[in-house]
Amino acid sequence: MEEETYQQSKSKIQDYEPIVGRSYIEELRMLGDRLSGKVIQAINSTYFGGGVAEILSHLVPLLNQLGVDARWNVIQGSNEFFEVTKKFHNALHGKDEKVSPQDLSLFLETSQRNLNELKFYGDIFFVHDPQPVALVTKKKEIGRKWVWRCHIDISNPNQKVWNSLQSFVLDYDAVVFSSPNFAQELPIRQFLIPPAIDPLSDKNKELPQEIIDSVLSKYGLNRDKPMIVQISRFDYLKDPLGTIDAFEKVKKNIDCQLVLAGGTASDDPESETVLNEVKERAAGNPDIHILLIPPGSDIEINALQRAATVIMQKSLKEGFALTVSEALWKRKPVVASAVGGIPLQTKHRFTGLLCYSIDGAVYALRQLLTNAEYAKWLGENGRQHVKQNFLITRQLRDYLLLFLSLDYHGDVIYL
Amino acid sequence: MIQWSQWLIDNWLLVATPVLILLGSFVAGLRLRKVAYDAFSQWLAKTRWEGGQLVVEATQRSFLHWFLLLGIYIAIQVSVLPSGSKIIAGKVIGSLLVLSLVWVTISLSEKLLKLCLTKIKAPQPPTTLAVNIARVTIIIVGVLILLDIWGVPTTPIILVLAAALFIAGLALRDAIPNFISGVQIAWGEQIKVGDFIKVEPGEAGYVTDITWRNTQIKTLEGNFVLIPNNTLARTTVVNYGRPVKKATYPFRFYTRLHLKELTGLKARNLREMVNILREVPDSVVYYHTHHFLEEHHYLTPEPANDFALWVSDALGNEILGERLAAIDTFDFPTIGTLKMRLVDVIEDYLARSRDWQTAPEGREFHFIRSISVILPTPYVAYDLREFVEVIKKITTGSIYFHIFEARLRVPKGTNDFSIWVEDCLEKKELGDKIAHLDPYIYTLESLRAAIIKLIEKNI
Repeated sequence: MEEETYQQSKSKIQDYEPIVGRSYIEELRMLGDRLSGKVIQAINSTYFGGGVAEILSHLVPLLNQLGVDARWNVIQGSNEFFEVTKKFHNALHGKDEKVSPQDLSLFLETSQRNLNELKFYGDIFFVHDPQPVALVTKKKEIGRKWVWRCHIDISNPNQKVWNSLQSFVLDYDAVVFSSPNFAQELPIRQFLIPPAIDPLSDKNKELPQEIIDSVLSKYGLNRDKPMIVQISRFDYLKDPLGTIDAFEKVKKNIDCQLVLAGGTASDDPESETVLNEVKERAAGNPDIHILLIPPGSDIEINALQRAATVIMQKSLKEGFALTVSEALWKRKPVVASAVGGIPLQTKHRFTGLLCYSIDGAVYALRQLLTNAEYAKWLGENGRQHVKQNFLITRQLRDYLLLFLSLDYHGDVIYL
Repeated sequence: MIQWSQWLIDNWLLVATPVLILLGSFVAGLRLRKVAYDAFSQWLAKTRWEGGQLVVEATQRSFLHWFLLLGIYIAIQVSVLPSGSKIIAGKVIGSLLVLSLVWVTISLSEKLLKLCLTKIKAPQPPTTLAVNIARVTIIIVGVLILLDIWGVPTTPIILVLAAALFIAGLALRDAIPNFISGVQIAWGEQIKVGDFIKVEPGEAGYVTDITWRNTQIKTLEGNFVLIPNNTLARTTVVNYGRPVKKATYPFRFYTRLHLKELTGLKARNLREMVNILREVPDSVVYYHTHHFLEEHHYLTPEPANDFALWVSDALGNEILGERLAAIDTFDFPTIGTLKMRLVDVIEDYLARSRDWQTAPEGREFHFIRSISVILPTPYVAYDLREFVEVIKKITTGSIYFHIFEARLRVPKGTNDFSIWVEDCLEKKELGDKIAHLDPYIYTLESLRAAIIKLIEKNI
């Protein structure tokens, strides 16, 4: 199999010291030392696009800097294969998807081809999401520790699809979920590790006002008009149409503009269709801006978030929605649906406002657009909440602890 | 012979005057030397400057010689010798004075330099180098003065020497500031071996050595750090002085990290909650009564516990929520007893009200187990000063371990800090004060600040 590369994060572990403190970094190094000699092999389906690739592109280099031999491989598959796994994805989110026997056999065939072609050199296999889940069949042959990291909201999965995948999941030593709601009754260990953002990445670092202004000019956005921003892939589950509905209701009383900005991922063939539908829905309203942001435009995303008055995440289903943490890190008030990992990030009335419907979103948006002080207070709380719980250093620590704990079973582990 | 005698009789005053001046200078020199050296000795007794005795030894004899030369010079000038002879005699005497001064200065500077460099434990090569540089410099200055006395032009020589000095300065530009700062530190005696210092911003520890180039400190992590003397001289340094009382046994700091394990168990109403609660291990109860402390620093006051929050928010039962929130974790020595109290309060409520309110879908209570991972940090404290300095640096996880987990681990129901302060430093009052802090009403950072304040009052 051809060796591919990925865009590594440029941040160094010591760069996080001013944010989280020296002792915190020392603790990470201590944990890294204890994993010395073990190889962590991360496997997913793409190096670019989407949250998982972004997480791994930051996580793997940082693990390396802590002395952990972590490496990253991707599986290969045809467009048809990724269409099937997209169906799995939607079905696990609870959507009523038709998964045919042919779909399942294509999934198994592609998995078998990857089993034959991929090199399995890790001591701990760190497998992400449903696409590569069947690789665990290799465990019967080579043993070692296997962890399945599920980034999807499987609180109400399509049972048929879940049952098909569960036979693979049960072979893992442990499963990791992003939210307690996703936990299942399983005979294997389940851990809770929410994902996190990198405060030093282009998407989250501080930006000079000139750059923010230049991005606004580039996309023809009015900097003097309150701006509601939703950043997410063009995906039905992110409910861009519901967001437009909510915006139009708010717009009746408050002069503002809406920015729906996002990209597409190589493992999501559906996003093109959604984008066209959203463009059609927004046509004729000059205050709705649909921005297709190409991959790697993190500075632009950052600038849009920083220019926002309120950030929305009105998803119907979510794995975690890191865009919420990104917004909170930038001290922005957030209106977000109470789905997936969003309630972990948005503590209602403390670090943002949760909603359960379009009308709920309208009510929350009105509150924030007309109460600047309250919006600021939520934003400040949000920043602290993310600093404490959703920075990549916390995620690094959790994964190090997870890898170390695979050899132990008690409530207290002495290292 | 008769002519000589007659000349002396006729001109006795011309002869006697120079002789008297010479004798007078000698006597004045003796007297002045006594007065000056007595005063100098008194000053030395006050300042206890170690170099003072060296100054006395090097200059005491020569001091008289200089007055003799002065007397001879004045005597010659008032004599009847021809003016040409007087000029030559003046130059000879001036040259002798310069030679004597050069000799004394070389001798004195060597002794003082060696004394100073011994204090900063400079190794042999730089010591010899410094002594030779001083010696050559003094000789060069002496020779230049001698040449000037005898009318030889010195400007070209000075220019050559200045160029050589400039080149040498460039070559030693890094070493010289450190060396000079080392001399300042040693001479000023503001920092001594054994002092506890804190260099802003950064390292803190006990000074273990001061050399001609670096000052070495032993940090709280036990590492030896070399700080260039030049850096030390330019940085703000807090010197806490000599060590305080050593503990009978050092305090080793640990840290506690935790991993959240999902049990897969969830409750939709109070009956399900109490049934599950009764069966789950203590680590589950521990998580739901303690995780707010670590995850919600910024919220003051923090929410009480997950059970109270869920009952209030998801079931909308403010009355029971309040009763659960009012359970003071600090009152319970073990998680087991805390769990039974939670169960009792919910059972009591159910027995009276038959509340079957169900949480909306997605708002169920998910039981999570806390996996504690304990590992030692590099920090060890041997006395109260080191102890407080470490507390300022450690993570909140470490404070959490020694305060919260300790309460449930150690039999006294107190905490690790109090026990160590009391048992190993015999400071019972301080130990009691730390033990009486209710950690559940502080954020971890404000708890850290409260402990630091208590300890610093005791140093």
